[in-house]
Amino acid sequence: MKIWSSEHVFGHPWDTVIKAAMRKYPNPMNPCVVGVDVLDRSLDKQGRLHSHRLLSTEWGLPSIVKAILGTSRTLTYIEEHSVVDPVEKKMELCSTNITLTNLVSVDERLVYTPHPENPEKTVLTQEAIITVKGISLSSYLESLMANTISSNARKLALCSSCGHWEELQRGLLKVEGSGHAYFAGFSALAKALAVNASHSEK
Amino acid sequence: MNSVGEACTELKREYDQCFNRWFAEKFLKGESDGDPCGQLFKRYQLCVQKAIKEKDIPIEGLEFMGPSKGKTENSS
Repeated sequence: MKIWSSEHVFGHPWDTVIKAAMRKYPNPMNPCVVGVDVLDRSLDKQGRLHSHRLLSTEWGLPSIVKAILGTSRTLTYIEEHSVVDPVEKKMELCSTNITLTNLVSVDERLVYTPHPENPEKTVLTQEAIITVKGISLSSYLESLMANTISSNARKLALCSSCGHWEELQRGLLKVEGSGHAYFAGFSALAKALAVNASHSEK
Repeated sequence: MNSVGEACTELKREYDQCFNRWFAEKFLKGESDGDPCGQLFKRYQLCVQKAIKEKDIPIEGLEFMGPSKGKTENSS
C-alpha cells in the first residue's frame, strides 16, 4: 500500500474554483475521460449538495498489457462521491476505481477550501492510497505509481495567477494530476507491466 | 462530454446546462430553495441506469442492481 498526498494553492476565490471543478470535463488536458454521468444528486438538511458520479475512462492500453490483464476492454470506470458546503465553503470529493479492482485499488480524496490567510485564494489538498494486488512486484509498482503521481504534480505549473476561465480549468486539471491520481498512476502501471512482460520473454 | 450510454448524451447535456446554471447562480450564493432540474434529471437518470445495467458496470447501491459485488471480486 502506498500513500501519496499533495497541497496546492489556486489564485482564485473558492466559488470560482468550485465552479470550474464541477465543469472540469471535457478537457483537452485529459482526453482519457470519455464520459461523466451523475448517478444521484441531493441536498441534505444542512444545505450541502451530495453528488454521486460515474467517470468513464479510456486508457488506450497497449495490447501486451491487455493480454496481461486478460481483458480486451480498455474502458475503466471510477465512482466519485462529492459534498459541496456553500456555507462552510468546502468541497470534498472521494473517488475509487470500480474496474481493474483485482489488479489495483486507487482511492483518492480531494478537498477544496478557501486559503486560511487569503480569501482570494483556494487550497486543494489531495490524497491517494494505492494498492497493487496479485503481482510479485506490487511494492515496486505501488512506489512507481505514487512517484509518478507526485512528480507529475510537482512538474506541472501551479495555476496561481490564472487570468482566464479556460486557463483555470486547464490549471485545475494539471494540478489534480490530470483529473485524478489514476491517470498518472494507471499509465505508470501499464508501462511497468509492459516492461516486466518484455523482460520475462527474454 | 458524453454519457456512458450513447443514447443518454443529449439528456445529459440538457440536465448539465440546467444544473450548472443553478449551481453557479443559486446554490453557491446560498439560495438553494428547490432544484429546478428535477424533471430533466429523472429522464436522464432512467436512461443512465439502463445503460449501466446493459454494460454490466459494477455500481453498488443503485436500486435496480442485484446482490452487490464486493470490490475484490470484480475482474474487469
